[in-house]
Amino acid sequence: MDVEDVFSSKLRIKILKILMQVGELNVSEIARRLGVNYNTTSKHLKVLEDEGILQHKVFGRIRLYRLNEHSPKAKGVQNLMEAWEHANKQ
Amino acid sequence: MPQYLSVFKDETKLDITYIPGRLPHRDRELRLLMEFFSFILQFPAKMAQRVIIFGDVGTGKTVLSQRFGVDITHEANKLGINLRYVHVNCREYRGSLFLILYHIVSVFHPTFPRRGYSAEELLRILLQILDEENAYVILALDEFESLVERESSEAVYKLTRLQEIRQDKPQRLSLICILRNLKVIEQLDASTRSTLQSNIISLVKYSKQQLIDILNDRVSLAFKPLTVPEDTISLTAEIAFSEGGNARFGIELLWRAGKYADAEDLDAVTPECVRKAVSSIIPTMRKSDLASLSFHEKLFLLGIARIFKEGQKAYISLTDAEQAYAVVCEEFNMKPHSHTQLWKYLQTLSGVGIVETEVSAAGNRGRSTLIYLSRIPIHELEKELSVLLEKEEV
Repeated sequence: MDVEDVFSSKLRIKILKILMQVGELNVSEIARRLGVNYNTTSKHLKVLEDEGILQHKVFGRIRLYRLNEHSPKAKGVQNLMEAWEHANKQ
Repeated sequence: MPQYLSVFKDETKLDITYIPGRLPHRDRELRLLMEFFSFILQFPAKMAQRVIIFGDVGTGKTVLSQRFGVDITHEANKLGINLRYVHVNCREYRGSLFLILYHIVSVFHPTFPRRGYSAEELLRILLQILDEENAYVILALDEFESLVERESSEAVYKLTRLQEIRQDKPQRLSLICILRNLKVIEQLDASTRSTLQSNIISLVKYSKQQLIDILNDRVSLAFKPLTVPEDTISLTAEIAFSEGGNARFGIELLWRAGKYADAEDLDAVTPECVRKAVSSIIPTMRKSDLASLSFHEKLFLLGIARIFKEGQKAYISLTDAEQAYAVVCEEFNMKPHSHTQLWKYLQTLSGVGIVETEVSAAGNRGRSTLIYLSRIPIHELEKELSVLLEKEEV
């Protein structure tokens, strides 16, 4: 996927922002924070995971998503968000 | 604005959550606990341990376990072993196995969802996490009684027999069960009991001298030098001893007494601050107790109160009390009663809990009876006695 396609979605940006703030979360909780349903959330999570930006762990029926610490793309996103937050605070 | 002066150097050292670097009079038990768990530092995956620590309130159960937790974690981490000590107060989690397990899981995954699975699933999830992270947990279940009362044998069985459902896998979870009374163990079924009862550490009530040592330790950490006189520590220890050798009570009392000293701009924590502090914790002086005393018992007590008021002492001798009583009798135009009679009055006052007595160690002049006015602020006592005596005189 091209970068403009990945970041064309407001929900995906929000997912990245949430996971950067809290570290890791399950699908239902991400959906609750986004204010959208489970399926929509799962769809966006899959896109981000397919791009290697996110990774997940399964515990029984629970899937916990987090930024993929080994991915250069995830690091890039993290740097961008931090720079953005920092600039907005000044 | 005047400068705020405090007797405290660092009052957090008196907080219930503070874990002191050393535990006076509990070093033997700490060593024993270390012995029980020494395998973790060599072969962490080979076995799991279960230990029971029991003793009355304030005998140091919690702090012993926590100190051990800090020490063993430190040692294990130095050796590259991923060991976590997790201390859970079962009562705070309403004795629920699910909530206790959730707490441990949240140590590893703080945002783990709270709903959607059972305690059994959560236990499996916990083991999965421990396996994945190659981690070991020593779980200290404080106020273990709550867990047994709510969940009965079943929950404890699950925790102690964990390994049987995962043969040939590393042992990940060890237990320290902390409780006041071993009776609760009798409520468990025979097999659970047998797995738990092999290692027991019993903590006996602290003596007054041991409490003095503990308080001295904390005073040096929490208060500025020379702000807590020996008398104050001795009185606090005396009260803590009468509360079942409760060190925690003594430490809290010392903190409260310090607050009274600060509130009154004193440069030291006097025994009177301790009395005020204790009366704010336990409403010990019942006016009906005072009213029910005989006229001469009241005169005697008034004499005792006046010496304490004059001298800022923690305790006085029976001879001091007799002399003060003679002065009060003169004031009220009464003939003083005999020494033997006063001894009986002292027993009555002690029985009601207004004063406490102790026989001093044999010195140059033999043994003598020491009188403590432990829990009652003198001003309040003197005022109340004066009102009652005036009424009776009329």
